[in-house]
Formats: sequence, structure tokens, C-alpha cells
Amino acid sequence: MARIGISLISICTLLLAACATQPPAPVEDRSLIEQVRASEPEQAPGLQVFPLRNPAVDELISAAEQAERDGDLGRAAMLLERAIRIEPRDPELLQNMAEVRLAQGDWEQAESNASRSFDVGPRVGELCQRNWRTMALARERTGRHEEAHRARERMQECRVEPPPRF
Amino acid sequence: MAVLRRLLITCLLFCAGLAVGAGGPWIWWLDREAGIRFAERQWTQNSRVYARPLELYQGLAISLEDLLVELESAGLRTGNPDQPGRFRHNGQRLDIHVPGFVHADGPEPGARISLRLDRDTIGELRHGSTQGPSLVRLPPAELGALLPLDDSDRTLIALVDFPPLLIAGIQAVEDRSFNHHHGIDPRGMVRAAWANLRHGQVVQGGSTITQQLVKNLFLSPDRSLLRKVNEAIMAISLERRYGKAAILEAYLNEVYLGQDGARAIHGFGRASEHYFGLPVQALAAEQLAVLIGMVRGASWYHPVRNPQRARARRDRVLDIFLETGLIDPASHAEAVSRPLDINIQRGQRGQRHGEFLDLVARQLRSDYRERDLSGTGLRIHTTLSPSAQQRAERALASGLASVERQPGELQGAIVLLEPNSGEIRALVGDRQAGRRGFNRALDARRQVGSVIKPFVYLIALAQPDRFHLATTLHDEPISISVSGQEPWQPRNYDGQSHGPVALMDALALSYNQATVALGQELGLSGLFRLLRQLGVEPGSAPHPSAFLGALDLTPLQVAQLYQPLAAEGYSTPLRAINEVTDARGQEIARYPMRMRPIRDREALALLDFALRHAVTEGTARSLSWRLPGHSDARGKTGTTNDRRDAWFVGYTQDWLGVVWTGRDDNAPAGISGSATALPVWAELFAGLPVSASGRSWPEGIEWYWIDWPSPLLASEDCPGAKALPFIADSQPGLYSPCMNAQTEPASRRAWWRRP
Repeated sequence: MARIGISLISICTLLLAACATQPPAPVEDRSLIEQVRASEPEQAPGLQVFPLRNPAVDELISAAEQAERDGDLGRAAMLLERAIRIEPRDPELLQNMAEVRLAQGDWEQAESNASRSFDVGPRVGELCQRNWRTMALARERTGRHEEAHRARERMQECRVEPPPRF
Repeated sequence: MAVLRRLLITCLLFCAGLAVGAGGPWIWWLDREAGIRFAERQWTQNSRVYARPLELYQGLAISLEDLLVELESAGLRTGNPDQPGRFRHNGQRLDIHVPGFVHADGPEPGARISLRLDRDTIGELRHGSTQGPSLVRLPPAELGALLPLDDSDRTLIALVDFPPLLIAGIQAVEDRSFNHHHGIDPRGMVRAAWANLRHGQVVQGGSTITQQLVKNLFLSPDRSLLRKVNEAIMAISLERRYGKAAILEAYLNEVYLGQDGARAIHGFGRASEHYFGLPVQALAAEQLAVLIGMVRGASWYHPVRNPQRARARRDRVLDIFLETGLIDPASHAEAVSRPLDINIQRGQRGQRHGEFLDLVARQLRSDYRERDLSGTGLRIHTTLSPSAQQRAERALASGLASVERQPGELQGAIVLLEPNSGEIRALVGDRQAGRRGFNRALDARRQVGSVIKPFVYLIALAQPDRFHLATTLHDEPISISVSGQEPWQPRNYDGQSHGPVALMDALALSYNQATVALGQELGLSGLFRLLRQLGVEPGSAPHPSAFLGALDLTPLQVAQLYQPLAAEGYSTPLRAINEVTDARGQEIARYPMRMRPIRDREALALLDFALRHAVTEGTARSLSWRLPGHSDARGKTGTTNDRRDAWFVGYTQDWLGVVWTGRDDNAPAGISGSATALPVWAELFAGLPVSASGRSWPEGIEWYWIDWPSPLLASEDCPGAKALPFIADSQPGLYSPCMNAQTEPASRRAWWRRP
């Protein structure tokens, strides 16, 4: 019984360990980030949501953006992880992480983070478009063209008219 | 003078020449040996394990009590915050001098900060003088050493990283002509001999730093003349082969500075951590002087065992600092006036967190070979929260003591984690914190009972064309034939059958017969497949009692099962390690945050709603008064046959906690999930910080008013109506009779949708 216990635990630890090793990163492609962020003029979103954020998180985001510009995507991901530890449900942070993973060629994590960002995010506006564009790109890169197409369709629904002003 | 010196060297060379003639091979061997052994010396360092570093920032939810635990775990002490590593607190206000630390992702400089707590939240964080960053990281608490295979302990430090005062001070005290001699210092020897002769005993050592290094590195501690000669020859040999810097660096890392239990402390790096709980860079002049004073006799001048002698020696060293101009008279006066201020950090820290270190070691061993883990000085940065760990330990100890029939009868385990990242924050495997032995959190495989039920219901809810939260189930006597055995006839906890019951109630009230009936409809293989998908191997028990949790799982496995539920449908492996670096801080392995959306996120959201129902109206409803502050807590109780095991698994937005209690011999213990495990969980969660806001629901969820508990659409105005989430288009099609009384029975006003 104890032996079974030990072997099961080793299976569990192996499973955990398996997740520790990143898939070999293909050539980093930071242009993907630009693709996701570029919102074409005709797609300019109607409604924008700007949440109030903790200055500490803001600092980490700026540092991550700097690391990204310097081409150090590993460091950018690490800084974003620290920020996510502080605000695990911040949609902007999760989307930034998705984009860094996209540029690193980690398609699975790019899609997962973008999906999570959408779930906790405003589900409209620019962030919503970046969510679905990231998911579409990640799905294309993994050969799931049907699902990528659906993501692009869903992206169109992110546009909503701003509420009327009185 | 120069003539005398030349004469002495000539004399020495003459003696050496004589020795070459007499014992040439011997000298050749010593010389060769000294070179090889110095070059190939393997500084064995233990792998150090660190807790997660606490990030301080405005808005951080933390109680004063927890903050003090965190500061002290990180090695800080109350005192004058002018000194690194000291803090002062006055009511809700703290002044902290955070010492610098090389974190896994780079160095963080020290910072002098002051902060104010406002209702268990950092309301304000300011830097002492200049504008500083909004985010300040404490050094991580050192949890202990992994696999201490040898009997000594070191923290290797490069020469440039030692404080200049230490480098100059050690030379001033031990070997003033270090920079000029060739390994031995004949003048020093003569001076020492003269002094010893005058006092009639050994009062002064003539050994140079190089000779002391040789003695520490290669030779036995006996005091024979032959050893002295060997020492001198090897010292000259080292000087000939290596530079002063290499020798001084080796010396500062090698010199013996006392014992930590059975383990010898070598070098100023480790000694500083051991005696003061601070990195050597953070030591003040008088603290450096204590350590420098100990070089002459670590036991004789031990600051705890012989404090008066140690203090006198320290002051003597400070006098030398002053005489040689290393410090000015003002700092000298101030340093001499300070107490010894010792803060011993014992190696038993390693035992204090033994259960968690167990897990760390297991996760590491699957990635590394044993011999790579020992002696190479890995730095393992983990996910443990010292304050949460302390709370978990206390909750288990006091919770069990308050419910058991005889003192010491029950045992228990707790796994506490941050559900979104899967990072394990606390792990308790024994009611007596720190006792090494059977680690129940990892190794106790016990029946899980009703804790498994949510996963039976998850399979049902993932089929929205057949089931929703208001589907009527039947809680009736049931008999299932099992091949080769008597038919199995499950009974309810209260011995009653409850007839027709809404699915959500059947789960919240933990009805066995309704659950087995549902499970039979869905099939046992589906349950086992789901458990495997969630990362837990349930074994092979083809008996339908598995629907009621006749499965043996460890608390850690149960935590893994519930993690995606607590993380709103994103699964991640549970992790104890964030990063492994080498002794210099270079990354060796990273364990990044990874998550994956699980396919049935909508069904999981419904299940989450049902587990909230269990807390408000089900078997866990005592939580509403035990834990009034956590309005978002969800959870499930579990009790096994004859009350052998009691479980409670509960989560909030911030934390997921698994509590198991029972007897080690698996005998009936008269316990239950709601009466034994739940109070432990509640006590733990009552002290944990709360920060997150409400959960978000997946896009495919719609809300309808239901004529609870009938599966009929209703409106807000109907008495007893309940708003329930449904997977889009799975809502009931029939209207409640109550709707006929409404003016607009079919209007869409009957339901509402959340964004």
C-alpha cells in the first residue's frame, strides 16, 4: 500500500514536473504582439474600460513593457507573473502575459491567458479584441483553423456603441 | 630593516634548501598537494530553500500579526531601523529597514520604508528620504537546507561582495602584513614568540591568514612542530601559485566560526546568517567585530555561551579598527556602546518546515539527480507563505484539541494554496508542527467520502440537455447488484430517504441515495476519467461505492481536484517551487505559472454555485456564523463510514484549503466533516487576508428565476423564487403556476441576465 502511495505521489510529482519544462521556444516573434495590439482605424472600439490599478502593479507593467522593448521576453514574463500574483484577476495583466507568450511561441499559454483575460475582463472594447485576436493567432499557429475562424468572428462582437450621453 | 628581512628570507631559503636535501620528495608532495587541493576544492554548500518573498505595497491585505510574522521569518528584528534588518512598530505604524537580497529574478536593493496599516491593509507606504518604488520586496524567509549530507554549512560569497570593513578589519586583526608577505611572516612569528615567551604562555599566534587557511583546509588541528612546518611550506606554496585575492576569498569563506548543532559553520557569510539572521553585507561594524573576534577561538569567544568574553573581544577588535583608521572615533564610541545583539538562526528552521521541505524535495527529485542536489548550493525559491503556514499549524492543533474525545487521539493535515496560480502556501502533515515523520498531507491515503460528490454532479451538469441545477433527482432506497458480492444498498447519513429533491439540494445536503442513482445513470468510468483528467489517479475500484467517495486519496490530491473549481475553470498543476538558481543566482530552472481552461467551464460554474448553496443552506451552513466575513466561501464536507475520516474542502477567491482529520490507525473516531474538519478550516480562513472581489461567470451562463425547488420558471415576485445560473438554453421550459397570477406571464421580464 505504501509502495503504491509512493509511486502515485511520484506520478503526481512527475506530472507536476512535466509542466515545469517549457516547450522549446521557437524563434521569438515580437511582431505578433504588434499584430495583436494594432487596432485598425475602422475597428476602433466604441467603449473603453480603464480600471483603476494599484501603483505597484503599474510599476511592474511598465518594467515588463521595458523588458519587452529590450527583447527580454523571459524577464517580461517574470515581471508579469509577479504582478499577476498581486492581481490574479486583472484582465489587462493576463492579456499582456498572453501576448508575451505569443511572442515566445508558447501558443497554449497565449491562448489560455487570453481566454482567462476575456472571462474576467469587460468582454467589450479594445481588450476584448486583443483577447480574441490572440486566441485566433494561437489557434492558427496550432493548425486549428476552424476554431481560429470562430475567434475572429467573436472578435467582431467586441465592438459596442458607447452608452448614450445625456 | 630591509637587510634584516632579506637575511631572514635567505635564512629560510637555506633551511628550505636543507629540507630539500633531506626531504625533497616530502616538500614536492606538499607543494603539489596544496596546489591541487586548493584548485579543486569543492566548497560543499547545502541547497537552501526559501519561502516566497513578501511584496509590500499600498493596498496589500495583511494583518499586523501576520506582517510581524513575515518580518521575523525574513530575519528582521525589532530595533533601530537605521540599521538594515531592523524594524520598529508603533501601533499600526511600522518603520522598516528592508535589507537587500538577490532574488531569483535579480537583486533588490535595501530600502528604508515606513508604512501604516489601516484595517488589515497597508494604507500607505513611504520611503525614508527619497522617492522610491511603490513595491518593496522583503528578503524571503529561509525555510531550511535540503539534504544536509555533510556536517558543515557555508554561504559562499565572492570577495567583492564582502563589506570593505570586513576585508580590511580581518587583516588589521589577524595579519597586518598580509599584502606583503609570501605566505609566512617571520617578523610576526618572532613577535608572537617573544610575546609568548614574556607571558609564559601562548598569547599571540604568529600564523598568517594564508597559514590559517592551510590549517583550516588541509591539516589536522594538532599542534605539533611537524604540522607547523608542513603548514608553512603549504602556505608558501599557495602564495606562489595563487594571488592574494583568491587566498583571502577562500579564507573568508572557510574560516571556522562555531557550530550550529552538529554542523560546523564555515565562513563569514554563513556565520552572519547564523548569529545575526542577516546577510554579511548588512552587518554593522560592531557585528563584524564580533565575528572577527571569533576567528581566534569560536568557542572561547562565543557570543551566547561566553557573552562577556565575546564582548570584551569585540571591543578589542573595535579598538583595532579605530587604531588602524578603519572607523572614526564617533562610530567607535557608538559601536562600543551597543549590546551584542545576537539573533541566533538555528538549523532547526529546516525542521520547522519539514513537511513542506518534503514536498519540495519530491518535486525536485523528479527533475534532478540526488548528487546534483547536495553540495552544489542550489537556491530553491518556493511558494510557501510563512504567515499562512503558521496559521494553518495553529488552526489544526487547536481545532483538533477542541473536538477530540481523548487528548491526542486525532491527527490531521492541511493543504492551503492560491488557486489561480496553484502555488502551495501552507502544508501541515501533523498536528504537532515541525515533528518529522509521517507526512499526512502527502502520504495519508484516506477515503474521501462526500468530497468526491461534486465531481459526479459535474459530469451531470456538463450535459446541459439532460441536467441543470433544478433537475429533480430521486432520493430513494436503491439496490445495486455487484458481481460476486452482495447487492450494495447505500443509506443516507441520517438513515432517511428524502424523495424527490432538486439536484443542487441533493449535492448541498449530501444525499447518498440520490447521488448513487445519478451516478448509475452517468456511469462509473466517466467519474474515473474525469478524476484522471483533473490530474489525480484514482486507482481501479470498479465498485459503485466510489460515487460516495470510497476512494483513497491524499489531501494533496484532493486539493488538485478542487483547484480548477476554485480558479473559475482554469486548471494548473499544484506547485511548491517557483525557481531554482545556483549559488550565484543564475537561473537553473523555472516553474512558470501555467493554466489551461477546462472544457466544461460553464458546468463548473454551476457546480461552484451549488457549493455556495452547500455553505448557505447545506451541510456546511455552520460556516455562515463561523466565518461571517467570507461571503464568497464555497465548500464541501466529507465523512466516511463509521466516522473514520472527516474532510472539509473549501475555497474563496483567494485561497483553497483542504482539511483532513482522522485517526492514524483508521479506527472509527466519532468525527464528521461538518463538526470536525470544518471548524479547523473556518479557524484558518478567519485569519487569512481577503482581497478579491466577486467571481465572474463564463459567457455561456444565463440567469433565471426558478420556483425553487421545482424545475419551473418563475419571476422575482413569486414567493420563494431563487435566481439560478443555467447554461444557455438549458433552462426549464415550463412556467410556475405563480406566473399565471402575473400580468405578463410570458414576458421576458421573468428572467434576467448578467453581463
